[in-house]
Amino acid sequence: MGNLLSPLVGKGHGRPLMLVGVGIALFITVMSITAPFISPHDPSLIGFGPPDSPPSAHYPFGTDQYGRDLLSRTIWGGRFMLLVAVTAVLICMAVGLPIGLVSAYNGGNLDRSVALVMDSIYAFPSLVLAIMIISVFGVTIVNESLAIAVVYIPTYFRVVRSQVLAIKEMPYVDAAKSVGANGPAVLLKYILPNVVSSIVVVATVNFADSILTTAGLDFIGLGLPVTSPDWGIDLQYGRALLPTGEWWTIFFSGLMILLAALSFSLISEGYAERTNPKLR
Amino acid sequence: MIMILLSIVFIVMRVLPGNPVLLRFEKNANPALIAGFTHQLGLDRPLYVQYFDYLWGLLHGNFGTSMAGDFEPVGPEILSRFPATLELTFYAFIVAVAVGVFVGAFGARKGGAPDEGVKVFGILIYAFPVFFLGMILQLVFGIWIHLLPVTGRLSAGIQPTALSIGGVQYQTGIYTLDSLLSGNLTEFIDAVKHLILPATALGLVISGVFVRMTRANMMETMRSDFVTAARARGLKEKTVVYSYALRNAMLPIVTIMGLQFAILLSGAILTETEFSILGLGTYLVDRINFRDYTAVQGTVVFLALLITTVSLVVDILYAYLDPRVRL
Repeated sequence: MGNLLSPLVGKGHGRPLMLVGVGIALFITVMSITAPFISPHDPSLIGFGPPDSPPSAHYPFGTDQYGRDLLSRTIWGGRFMLLVAVTAVLICMAVGLPIGLVSAYNGGNLDRSVALVMDSIYAFPSLVLAIMIISVFGVTIVNESLAIAVVYIPTYFRVVRSQVLAIKEMPYVDAAKSVGANGPAVLLKYILPNVVSSIVVVATVNFADSILTTAGLDFIGLGLPVTSPDWGIDLQYGRALLPTGEWWTIFFSGLMILLAALSFSLISEGYAERTNPKLR
Repeated sequence: MIMILLSIVFIVMRVLPGNPVLLRFEKNANPALIAGFTHQLGLDRPLYVQYFDYLWGLLHGNFGTSMAGDFEPVGPEILSRFPATLELTFYAFIVAVAVGVFVGAFGARKGGAPDEGVKVFGILIYAFPVFFLGMILQLVFGIWIHLLPVTGRLSAGIQPTALSIGGVQYQTGIYTLDSLLSGNLTEFIDAVKHLILPATALGLVISGVFVRMTRANMMETMRSDFVTAARARGLKEKTVVYSYALRNAMLPIVTIMGLQFAILLSGAILTETEFSILGLGTYLVDRINFRDYTAVQGTVVFLALLITTVSLVVDILYAYLDPRVRL
């Protein structure tokens, strides 16, 4: 497992990118976790300050149309999204990895049928599927995570499968088998470690995508109930104020969504560049 | 593959727990009313009957009847909203490919610092929430500088016109096309002005992928033998880059065009909501808020069919472009 983190150290391509990504991601995570402690005011308190006031010394990010302090809302706004993203990635890994490993290793018609199903889901836009699931089941962390996870599992499956298919034929796998290693042992000891680094890349991209999809759902109104502080919801409600030129209602929330998605994309790109010799 | 997609839609909407009819009514509604509604929608029949009915109906272009109000068929409604989405995605796609290919090629050609900049640009722009980018564009170009309109497809007072041949109206619903066909220049300019901001927002975000792909492909192609040979023959650098290297680098881009279409659709839903464009995206969101499940199902099915068709077309296109590929 040590080789998972090794791309983080040492010189070379892509490291600044990745470190910037890790830095921003850490910042956002810490901010979201410590929100109750560092937020200056209650984010949901209506009528706290003068409504629609631009950024000032008193309210660094300004206030929205209900007089809520936007700085507090921005600090609190990422929690739901991060939770959904983490859950979605975990579900994907828990489901996609084993299926990919087992299916590719066993091969045959089962593998082909599973691959066909996966390919069918692969092209489906995650937002549309999420909309479908949420419209029927309602909004909870689990539902949104599931919706996002379902569409991403095929990607994990594909990546794992192609790796397994390649490694499966290698001499050292045959050698292991000839010494008496059985299926699960071969998978775990030989194939899995080689698959891990590509999984990291897919997982980080998955994370970034999940943040964007959740934000999109919130924006449409299919996310959290509107009273919660959330970046996507802020964008939805701030939108109405745009014609009057009130930019601060949407700017900071939107920026945070961008930074969150960006950080994980950077990690993914940096990591890929450092572990994939072809990209250097 | 289509069958699998359609079946998935059916399963999610019908089979999984959660009675859509109940969700539509209040908890204490009259049971007779609920029963009547359920019967009218055919939801009380055995599941396999419903499944075959659903597929059979689809074969005949029947996308089900709406659950809201008057049980009107959903199909015509979907078709009337589709052109707006088609128009938006089409122009956004052009923006995406144009920006993506040129920026990517630029980065690959220059190398060094501009190349790093291009790389970061690709990642950055793709991470942008499309509605946020839309809002920024609206703010800057529509509100701070009153240059472009911020919502809708046409200004108030301008009617969409259509081509009429011998008294029969041929209207595609694509305003840019219709206005050109009917020769109405004012309408054309107006429609284009309304399209600039949303198409740019969506197109820019999608271009991220194309930027990265073009850059990677170009860098690889530039190192290949035939490029070196072309240079050795004394061809101008510009010719080498654009006529030789770029053409070959484009091939893999065609393959991902099909995949990008699905992402384009997701983005279109958000862009339409942001810019108040009455297309399939806003229709979908709208119907969900009304708990009109058959309409939602119908729209999702339509989108699934659309995506599959586009993928098929792209596959055929790729086989045509690359002589090494056999269908």
